[in-house]
Formats: sequence, C-alpha cells, structure tokens
Amino acid sequence: MDLRAGDSWGMLACLCTVLWHLPAVPALNRTGDPGPGPSIQKTYDLTRYLEHQLRSLAGTYLNYLGPPFNEPDFNPPRLGAETLPRATVNLEVWQSLNDKLRLTQNYEAYSHLLCYLRGLNRQAATAELRRSLAHFCTSLQGLLGSIAGVMAALGYPLPQPLPGTEPTWTPGPAHSDFLQKMDDFWLLKELQTWLWRSAKDFNRLKKKMQPPAAAITLHLGAHGF
Amino acid sequence: MALFVVFQTTFFLTLLSLRTYQSEVLAERLPLTPVSLKVSTNSIHQSLHLQWTVHNLPYHQELKMVFQIQISRIETSNVVWVGNYSTTVKWNQVLHWSWESELPLECATHFVRIKSVIDDASFPEPNFWSNWSSWEEVSVQDYLGRGTLFVFPKDKLVEEGSNVTICYVSRNIQNNVSCYLEGKQIHGEQLDPHVTAFNLNSVPFIRNRGTNIYCEASQGNVSKGIEGIVLFVSKVLEEPKDFSCESQDFKTLHCTWDPGTDTALGWSKQPSQSYTLFESFSGEKKLCTHKNWCNWQITQDSQEMYNFTLIAENYLRKRSVNILFNLTHRVYLMNPFSVNFENVNATNAIMTWKVHSMRNNFTYLCQIELHGEGKMMQYDVSINVNGEYFLSELEPATEYMARVRCADASHFWKWTEWSGQNFTTLEAAPSEAPDVWRSVNSEPGNHTVTLFWKPLSKLHANGKILFYNVVVENLDKPSRSELRSFPAPANSTKLILDRCSYQICVTANNSVGASPASIIVISADPENKEVEEERIAGTEGGFSLSWKPQPGDVIGYVVDWCDHPQDVLQWKNVGPNTTSTVISTDAFRPGVRYDFRIYGLSTKRIACLLEKKTGYSQELAPSDNPHVLVDMLTSHSFTLSWKDYSTESQPGFIQGYHVYLKSKARQCHPRFQKAVLSDGSECCKYKIDNPEEKALIVDNLKPESFYEFFVTPFTSAGEGPNATFTKVTTPDEHSSMLIRILLPMVFCVLLIMIVCYLKSQWIKETCYPDIPDPYKSSILSLIKFKENPHLTIMNVSDCIPDAIEVVSKPEGTKIQLLGTRKSLTETELTKPNYLYLLPTEKNHSGPGPCICFENFTYNQAASDAGSCGHVPVPPKAPPSMLGLMTSPENVLKALEKNYMNSLGEVPAGETSLNYVSQLASPMSGDKDSLPTNPVEPPHCSEYKMQMAVPLRLALPPPTENSSLSSITLLDPGEHYR
Repeated sequence: MDLRAGDSWGMLACLCTVLWHLPAVPALNRTGDPGPGPSIQKTYDLTRYLEHQLRSLAGTYLNYLGPPFNEPDFNPPRLGAETLPRATVNLEVWQSLNDKLRLTQNYEAYSHLLCYLRGLNRQAATAELRRSLAHFCTSLQGLLGSIAGVMAALGYPLPQPLPGTEPTWTPGPAHSDFLQKMDDFWLLKELQTWLWRSAKDFNRLKKKMQPPAAAITLHLGAHGF
Repeated sequence: MALFVVFQTTFFLTLLSLRTYQSEVLAERLPLTPVSLKVSTNSIHQSLHLQWTVHNLPYHQELKMVFQIQISRIETSNVVWVGNYSTTVKWNQVLHWSWESELPLECATHFVRIKSVIDDASFPEPNFWSNWSSWEEVSVQDYLGRGTLFVFPKDKLVEEGSNVTICYVSRNIQNNVSCYLEGKQIHGEQLDPHVTAFNLNSVPFIRNRGTNIYCEASQGNVSKGIEGIVLFVSKVLEEPKDFSCESQDFKTLHCTWDPGTDTALGWSKQPSQSYTLFESFSGEKKLCTHKNWCNWQITQDSQEMYNFTLIAENYLRKRSVNILFNLTHRVYLMNPFSVNFENVNATNAIMTWKVHSMRNNFTYLCQIELHGEGKMMQYDVSINVNGEYFLSELEPATEYMARVRCADASHFWKWTEWSGQNFTTLEAAPSEAPDVWRSVNSEPGNHTVTLFWKPLSKLHANGKILFYNVVVENLDKPSRSELRSFPAPANSTKLILDRCSYQICVTANNSVGASPASIIVISADPENKEVEEERIAGTEGGFSLSWKPQPGDVIGYVVDWCDHPQDVLQWKNVGPNTTSTVISTDAFRPGVRYDFRIYGLSTKRIACLLEKKTGYSQELAPSDNPHVLVDMLTSHSFTLSWKDYSTESQPGFIQGYHVYLKSKARQCHPRFQKAVLSDGSECCKYKIDNPEEKALIVDNLKPESFYEFFVTPFTSAGEGPNATFTKVTTPDEHSSMLIRILLPMVFCVLLIMIVCYLKSQWIKETCYPDIPDPYKSSILSLIKFKENPHLTIMNVSDCIPDAIEVVSKPEGTKIQLLGTRKSLTETELTKPNYLYLLPTEKNHSGPGPCICFENFTYNQAASDAGSCGHVPVPPKAPPSMLGLMTSPENVLKALEKNYMNSLGEVPAGETSLNYVSQLASPMSGDKDSLPTNPVEPPHCSEYKMQMAVPLRLALPPPTENSSLSSITLLDPGEHYR
C-alpha cells in the first residue's frame, strides 16, 4: 500500500479522534453515573470562555458609549444601578457560603444580568455591536443552563423567581441618558466580576468533587491505558 | 328766541361737559393692568409659560395692547430679559406667552412681572403704561428630589454650532465639584454658592451617541458622587440637492434627490430625517420611505404641470426644495433594444434597433456611436419607432462596436442608457504594397540577395495576410521569371542570382486578393563602391542623419542599419526631396555602435550606396582595460604596450589612453602630470590622444626603484573601469653588465657540453675505454719498477681466450678492481665476480700472460643464482684457477692470497657462473669437451659480447668433469639484455 504524507496525517487525525472520543465510549467508561464532575468542568470552561469574550465585547461597547466610560481609569462610585446584582461580597461571607448557596446566587445573578443584557442589545445602534451582544447573550444563556445542570446533578432545586420581581428592561424617561450609560457601564463591570467569581466557585467545586486518586487509577486501568 | 339761544347754548355746553367727563372717567380707569399672572415651566424646552388676563376691558371691545415683560434671575433686581408683546386683547381673554431660557430653569429661580399700555387708534394720545404686576417667582429646584448633585439640561438635543449653557446644582457646598466635557475639565461661572453655569459655544458634532458631560463631587480625594448629562448634537439638516422627477411611461413619476448628511442620533434621540413629497396642484402629499427617491403615481391623465415640494425634516429643522415642470418635458425613455446589423460588407453596414413606444406620433432622437480602430464616430438620427442607420466608410476586416441611445426629440430631457452590439466588416484586398528592402552580397559569379519586407499595417492589410508572392524577373532575359510564395508571417527570403539584372516584385495576399506590387531592381554590377565611413553622434532620441543628394533623378532614399543585439536589418524610406532624417527607435541601446548606410533609389529602382555613418546613441566609458605588456625593462626605462587592444569593439569611440604611474618620487616625470585618483591617492598621468598609439616608453626612471602603472582607454563618456596597478621594479645597473658576461659564458659551457655529449663515444674510447690499455696501466709501471725483464705485457690481440669463468668472490674482498659501474649497489660490490681468462693449453705453467678484470655485467645473474643454484665448487682449484694461481706470484702477489682465501671460503651454494667466451675460436669444435687441445692462440684477442647462461640450464650435473670451466652455451638467445 502506498502511504503518502497526507495519509499519515489522516491516520494521525483519526488516532486523535479516537483518543478524543475514548472517554465517550460507554463500554470504556465507568459503569454508572459519572457524577457532577464533567458538568462542573464544562461550566468552569464556559465561564472562562465568557470572561474572554466579555473582554472584547466590553471594549467595543464602552467605546460606543464614549468617554469617560471607555477611559481605563474611570472608576465612578456606584450610586445608580441599584437593581444589578452585586458580585462583590465580603471574603468571609463568601467563604461561609455552602455550595448550594453559591450556585443559587450564581444562577440568580446571571438570570438578572442576562435580562439587562438583552436590554442593552436593544439600544445598540450598530449592527456589529448588536451581533456581538446577541452572541454573548446566547453564551450566557448556555452558562445559565450549565449552572442549572450542575445544581440538578448535585440535587439542588432551582431558585424560583418571585412573582412580580422578574427583572424587565423598561425603556423610558425614568433614567437620563447619562444614567443609562452609567447603568450599562456597571452592567458590564458586574458581569466581569461575576464571571471571575464564578470561575473561582466552579474551580473550587470541581476540586471538591474530584474523585480520590485511587479511583482515578482504577478508572484509567479500565480504559486500558 | 333769546331763550332758545340760551337753551341751545346750555345744551351744547352740557353735552360738551358730558363728553369731557366721559373722557376723564375712561382716562382714570386706564391703563389696564395685567392681572392673574401665572408662570409655569417646561424643563424639556427650558421655557417659561406665562398666562394673564386684563381686567376692566369694556365689554365686547377689542383693544390693541402692548405688554412689557421683565424676567429676572436669582433675584428680582437681576433682570435678564425685557421685552414687549403686542396683541389684541378681548374682554375676559386669557393671554399666553412663552420665553425660552438659555439657562436650564432648574439652575436658578426666575422672577417675572408684566405691565401694559393701550396701543389702539381709537384711544387718542397720551397713553400711559400701567403699573407693574407683582413679581412672580418660578423655582424648579424644589422639585429636584433627593441627591446632592444635579447637572442640567438633561439629554438636550441641539444642532451643531449652537451655544449651550449647562449648569450643575450642588446641594452640599462642602463638596468640590469638577466638571468634564469629553474627558476634559471645563470651567464655568458660579451663579450662587450652589449653582455654576458653563457656556459651551458652537458645540461640535462628535458622535451620534451624544457628547458626555459629567460632574463629580468630592471631598478631598473621596468621590461623593458623579452626575452627568448626554448632550446630543445633531448635524445641521441639509437642503436636498439635485431634486428632479421624470417618467418613463407616463404612469409613474420617479423623483430622486441627494439627501446629504444623515442626522440620525443614537438612543433613539433623533431618527434620520424624513422626506415628504407635496404636489401643490393636486394638493396631495406622500411620505417617502426611502431617503433619496420616491415614486409618485400619476392618477390624472389630464394633469401636465406638476409643482413638487420636497420637505426634509428632523426634530430641529425643516428644509424644502421645489420644482415645477411639465410632465411631457420630463420623459426619460427606456433603453433601445434589438440592436442588429444587416448587409455587413467590407466598408459598410446597416444598423437597426427598436425603442419602446410611448405615445402616438412620438418622435425620438437617437444618437449612434461607432467605435473601431481606436476612433469614435457619432451620428444623430430622428426616428419614430424602428431605428435604422447606414454605416459607411468602414475599414475592412475590422471589429466595430456600435451603440445607440435615444431621447424625446420634442423636449429633450435625458438620454437613455446605451444599447450596443459588436460587428466585424469583411476582408478586402490589401491596399498598399509591402515595404521591401534588400541586402546584396556580391560573390564571384553571383549575387546573394536577402530580401526583407515589413508586414502590412492592419489599416492596409484589410484582412489576414496569408502569404507573400515574390516574382523574380531577369531583365536581361525577360522571358525568364520565377514566382515564389512564402506563407505569412515570413518576412525575408534569400535569393542567389547570377550576374544579370533582376527585377523583384513582392505582393502581400489575403483571402480576397493581392496587394499592389513592391518593385526592387538588382543591377548586374556589384556594389563595390568604396564609401568612407563617417562618425556621427547620436542622442537618446536617435540619430540625425543627413547626406548629399544623389546626382540625377532619384525616387527616394533608403537608410538601413542593424538592430543590436538581434542583428535584424532595419530600414527607413525617405522621400526624394529629403536629404536628412532622424532615425529614432526604442531599440537603440547605449554603448552599441550602429552602422547606417544611405542608399539612393534611381528611377529604375536600383539602389546605390551613397554614404556610411557610424555612431553610438550614447557613448559609454570603455568596459575593459587593455592587457599591458612590459617590455625593454632596463634600469632607467621600460616600455608599455597593448597592441592587442581592439578599439572597435568598445561601447564608445576610443579617443586615447591614460597612463597612470605611481612612484615614490614626488615629482612626476616629464610629460606626466599630477592626477588624483578616485581613492584620493596621487599619481602621475600621461595622456595619449591617438587611439592607435598603443605603446609608451616610460623613461628617466631610477634603477632599483618600484613603479606602478595602469593604462586605461577613454571615450567621450570617460575612462575604463578601475583596476589594480601593475608593479614594476627597475633592475640594478650592474646586473645588466653581469648578464652580458654570464650569458655568453653559459652559452659556451652549454655548447661544450653538447659537443661532449655528441662525441661521448669518442671521448670514452679516448679517455677511459672499457678495456684498458695495459700499456697505460699502473701495473706496468709496477712491473717496470720491479725490473723484471721477463715480464712482458701481452697484447690483447695476442691473447685468444676461449673461455671465461666467472667466480663469485666472497664478501670481504678488499681488492679494488677496475671498471666499477655506478649502477651497482654496494652489496653487489661486495660480491664481485671475476672473469678469468683461462688458457686453453694444458700446460700453462709457463708464464703465460693473463688478464683478470671484473665484469659486472653478470653480477645480477650471479646474485640471483646464489639463491637458486648450487654451483659446486671443487675443493681443489680448477685447472684454470690453478693456472692462474700458478701464474707468476710476482705479478699478483698481493692478490694471490686473497684469491685463495676467497676460494677456500666460498661455501657450497655460492654463486658461480661459468662462461664460455665467445671469442672467435674456429679451432674448438667440440664445446662439450674440455679444451684439452688448445689451439694456437691468435695474435689478437677479440672481446665479444658475453652471454649469461642460466645455471639451471647450463650447468650439468655436478660431476667432476662438469666442474671444469668449459660450459656449453645452450641458448644463445638468452643473453643478457
């Protein structure tokens, strides 16, 4: 058989594909429920991805708002934007939270933020910015689903929104345009902090849910490595 | 009567007094004071709205009144605006008036008061102003709500270039408030301890998302709050440009315009400007959905005139343009279609097309454009429905592009788009003879004519040239002509013609026919005219040539030359009345010599060489330097020569040479001048102006001195390339003298040596023969010294030996023998072989003379034999040996002992060769037998060539007999070589 360079690349790609899908082969997997580990990992990865995505989006959007919002040292006191969920929390308080509370807070925060973000999308004047915002909203929706999945895997119930407290974006003269811009600024800033905080949370949870070393050995052995 | 008069007077007086009273009463009641003044605010428009009434107005009476309004800010004494408002006031009417403040109303308390005066003609002068109403205070700050810092006006929309006043209200005077516009701090005017206003003049448009202005309150470095506004600055709405309407079908009017800048702002603050079409005759209006065009449906067939107003509008401004037109004057036809060509031949064609029908009896004006051969022709034609145009004077075999556009002939408005089609005319016979030229090489007995022709231009070829016909006609023998045909794209041929006159006709042929013939005549006489070549100077643009006119009638001149490097013959035809021309072509290259020949063409079409010119379009500096030889080197001079240098093959006319000379001496030699080289060094330079002078004697040099020279040619463009200097050192003065002596001496020695070599045989025989003359031997003197009278020297001729025995001498022999040869090694020398001349007589006890000498010829064989043969040496000496030993001891006394010892010491196996002499011995017939019967020796003994006999073959078995000296020569051919 005539083996050429292209063939060897193809074989390599095939081998990689097989190795990639090896953990997905049921016969090679551990029998039984894999537990919340994979879904926590996926949620963690998604959080990091969103962090990266937000960096680019925030730059574009703050430029769109104009100065002083796009100035790197602009750090106004947070006087408005009261309805936005705050990501900053006292360290001790944060450490005292259990997994369920952390997950619940994450879920609630992203539910709110997603809603405000959609309002942001409506105001954006340029098509490119609208596209970027829509893409980010989709990703954030995915993160919300992932958190719900983790909570379900751990047996925690999803928080139910209280009737009448559903956050809605309401355009109108209630806010001045400057305050609206300020709200947008704080929305992006809170999103950034929340994503950073969530990455920490999921990393912590991931480590906590990691099986003992012996189990890993046994698992690898079952894979035939 | 008197009573009547009194009564009448009283009545009038009463009436007068009543009238006076009435006027006084009215005057007392007027001026009418405004009352119930109320002031409201509109924050968005920053306006105060006033409303009031006027009391005491007569019922159902209208009076023209003037109201003066005074507005103060912050305090009543600070009047910022005073103005009059005139209006007609009715009884019980509520009056309204608005005032727009440049300062946001939230930033300051305003006070308003009003007074009035009647300005009505029904009331005679004088009229008096009423009293001021009381001050009405307006303050919005009370409604600001919570917070310590406010900035106004909120989200104001202004036009670019407007002046805007903003202000902030800080409720805490402890706070330090700084305000920023687009990141830059701005400074304002403090109205009171809480309020500061900023005047922004001629605000620019920065972005459609608004200009951010914010103020930050702080105490120390601690920020206490930030508040801001977004000032939306709109671009000024432009008037629509190029507004026009037209119809293609009398059903729809299509109106277009250039909208200019879009004034839309972000955050839905202001959408793009809207456009509305209004037609005044019909009174209809249409809001356009596109920003630069709008369609208007024609509903009434009878309406011909239209008056359109296009209104552009945004939140801040309204602009409009107007056009009035007759519909029939605004007809924009649809494009023509079905463009075709009929009856196309070589020079003409008929173009047809159709137009969309508009109305009956509609006349169209159509314009036709014909593009071909880089030219464009334009024709106008008036048609009804179907268009047709006869295109003439076309070029054959040419592709044309014809296109047509139409317009309303009655009222020209606009051309349609072009509709076009390509077509190609048919071929025609070539219209012009090809341009032909020739070069002739005359050889004994014939001419070699190379015929060249140029391809016809497209204009004259009238189609694709298929072949060229060449007819060669012998003018001396008119009956003989020859036709040759060459397929295109041939452009030359070679003809070998005998010494007759020939006429050559060349025609170019296409599919339709042949061109006119181009005729050239080759005369019988060879072109041996000697013409001197003249040098000309060319330029980058070409060569300017001129020549003397040829005597007699000429039909023209031809200049030919060769293009380099292709070496293609080029020529140019010049008219008969012209004796100069400029040859300019892109093919001329700098540094290439071009040779031009100018011919005159006689009326018989015979070319005659008139002049030759040569030159360069641009001379270049020489590309190489000559290879210089140094001759005649003496202590005071040397000669430089470069005879091999070719001046012809240079990129310019060589004008001479520069000879550079460097020496340690600071002064230049005579004829040389000081010069500075490109590297800055100094040297001496000599200029030779004659390019054929290719040698230079450099003299007046010092002996034993070091000189460097460099020779470079020069043209008008400069010198040759830089190269290294060649070094020369002049010799010592005495060395030449020595050479004069030594050379003849060496020659003499060599001559002697050659003579000696040639006469070596003679010298050898004379000086050192192979067989020494005993008479000359030292032995003879020894013998004579012993004074033995019995001893005589035997003549070699007297001795006739018949056998020679060679005996290896053992090592250690110290005897010096005669005749050593250089080719022998020392080892061999230690084992000398001896040839013994054996007497043939049995009785040899007598004092027979015997010569003993060494013969090394056999040493090699002897040494070889030492390893392979055991030559038995008899324990007793052989007779010959004995004989020798018994030879007079007084002869070889010193040798005897050694000989004996040697023999005694010869071990078994030592080499021993026995040789048979080849001296002529006619008497010895039996070689096998010992020479027991010796013949009488002849007088002379001849030593002949000796032959080696291999022991293996030659030696018989080791019998006693065989030990004797005589051995048969088995193979005479195995002699030593």
